[in-house]
This record gives sequence, structure tokens and C-alpha cells, in this order.
Amino acid sequence: MDNQQSTGVIKRAGKRATEEFDKNKVFSSVQAACLSVRSPEGDADMIATIVSDLVDLWRSTRYAVTSHDLRRVASDHLKDLAPEAAYLYKHHQLVL
Amino acid sequence: MDEYTTLAIIAVAALAHASFQLSISMLTLLSSHTIGKKNTHNNLLLRTHAFVIGAGVMTLLLISSLALVLSYIYSATATPLFIWIIGCGLLTGVGISVAIFYYRKEAGTSLWIPRPMARYLSSRTKSTSSSAESFSLGMVSAISEILFTLAPIFIAAFSLVQLHPIWQLVGIAVYTIISLSSLIVVNCLISSGHSISKVQKWREANKRFLQLASGALLIILAVYIYVEHVMLAVALTAAGEI
Repeated sequence: MDNQQSTGVIKRAGKRATEEFDKNKVFSSVQAACLSVRSPEGDADMIATIVSDLVDLWRSTRYAVTSHDLRRVASDHLKDLAPEAAYLYKHHQLVL
Repeated sequence: MDEYTTLAIIAVAALAHASFQLSISMLTLLSSHTIGKKNTHNNLLLRTHAFVIGAGVMTLLLISSLALVLSYIYSATATPLFIWIIGCGLLTGVGISVAIFYYRKEAGTSLWIPRPMARYLSSRTKSTSSSAESFSLGMVSAISEILFTLAPIFIAAFSLVQLHPIWQLVGIAVYTIISLSSLIVVNCLISSGHSISKVQKWREANKRFLQLASGALLIILAVYIYVEHVMLAVALTAAGEI
């Protein structure tokens, strides 16, 4: 389901320029997390499609969201489908 | 002090070096991004191996350079007691700091390094796309850790200076290989197909133990060197005067 209303994404608590929500970015990041835990490509694509659709639906009722919220919502949905990938997705900024 | 005792000190210092986690975090990130971008397994192997070799080369250069500098000081000074004292101070200071501050309190394995630096290293790791870049990244990781690794490198370098030249080469090899051992283990796990999330989960679950172990190792080494080199020398001098 495509939601046409645009939503601003506030990055790093406003320290970086706000940008439009991009569903493809969510898809790519979730897909990369799935591939990182060695999920087959087909599974990774399917999971990334489901999660990016759910995130798109969630943001469609909001005018602005933070990048942190996007990551949290995406990882919550991902947790049900691929827990290992969700762990990496959620903590990737806390590795270093 | 015989060669074996000196080599044992070098090995313990290298073990403390190996327990530091910045390079391991960068290797984990590098592997994660490489696999996530649909690169082949060969590409993954090339990049992770290049990273480990880069870190090894930089460690080798650091310990050799410091040993060279210390060898000039050693030959120009009648007694190297003050260098041992500096080394003990460094080990104790870094050991206490590591035991208390090394990891941040939040979830994950983020380290007590400046956040802009962590973000820069993270983005560089993410954009690494060739084995040559991975090699450089490995070298940078060894330099970025220098705040923590300076103390064990200093002690190992000064121990090396007192060995016969042939034993010095052995000592450099021992230090480099042992200090890389944790990176080599993680590299083998990733190369053999283990899940990165499992490696990362293990690191997160055991981070407090690793932090305490490396801090304790540094402090124990400091105490040993202080007793063996400083107190003994002072006691012998005092006995000679009597």
C-alpha cells in the first residue's frame, strides 16, 4: 500500500537536515540487515517488503517522525519475522 | 631477567592488547556491511583478511618504532628505573580506566571514545569497498585504539629492548600474533559462515567480564613489573649501601 502524504524525517535530533520519508531506504536497510545474518536473498526481499510496508503505513498518519522512531518501529516489526536481523538492525549504531 | 620471563611479560601485555575491542567492532561492522551489500564470500574474505593484516602491520610498526625510541633512551641512561616507573603508571592508569569506563552504559558494545570519532570510523567502515581500503581501515583501527594500547605496547617495547637482537624479533612476532589473536578468532568465525549477530550478541553479553579482565590484566602486570624491576632494584641498591 502506497501512502501519498509526505512525512518529514528528523535526523539525529535535528542535528542533520530533515528529509522526506523514503520507503526504499527502509527497504534497503532491512534487506541489508537480513542478508547480514545470511538469510537467503528471496527471504530478505520478502521480509524487507513487509517491514517497509508496515513502516510506511505507520508514518502515513504523521507529518514528521524521527529517524530513531523509524528504526524502532522497523525493528519491532522485524523482530517477529527475523529476530537475529532485528538485533543487528536495532543495534547497528551501538557496535562502535 | 632471562629471555623467557621477558617473553612472558610481552605475551601478557599482548594479551591485554588483544582484549581491547575497537578493531573487533570495526571488523564486525565491515563484515556486516559487506554481506549486506550482496558481495560474494570471496570479497568478504579478501576484505576481512586485509583488515586483520592492516591491523597487524600497524601494531608491528608501533611496537618496533617505540622500541627503537626506547633503545636510544636505554643506552643513554645508566639506570632505566624511571622508564619502568612510567610504564607501571601507564599500565595502572589505563587498567583502572578500562575497568571503570571502557564500555558505555547503554545497550550494545559502544566504547568510551568520542562520538564524532565513532561516527567517522563507522561511516568509513560502511563505505569501504575494496581490500586496499580494508587494509588501510585495519591500520587506522590500530591507531584509533592507541589511547588504550599505548600502555601494553610501551611495556612490551621496553622489555624487547633488553633482549638479544634475535630474541627481539621473536618478541615482536609474539606480541603481534597474540595481540591479533582476538581479531583472528572473530575473522575465522565470520569467514566460516557464523552469524555476525551471534558474534555480536556474545560480545554484548560478556562485555563487562571482558572489561574487568583486561583492566585486571593491566593492573596485575603493573604490580608484577613494579615488584620485579623497581622494588627489587631499590632493595638491592639499599642492601649495597649497607
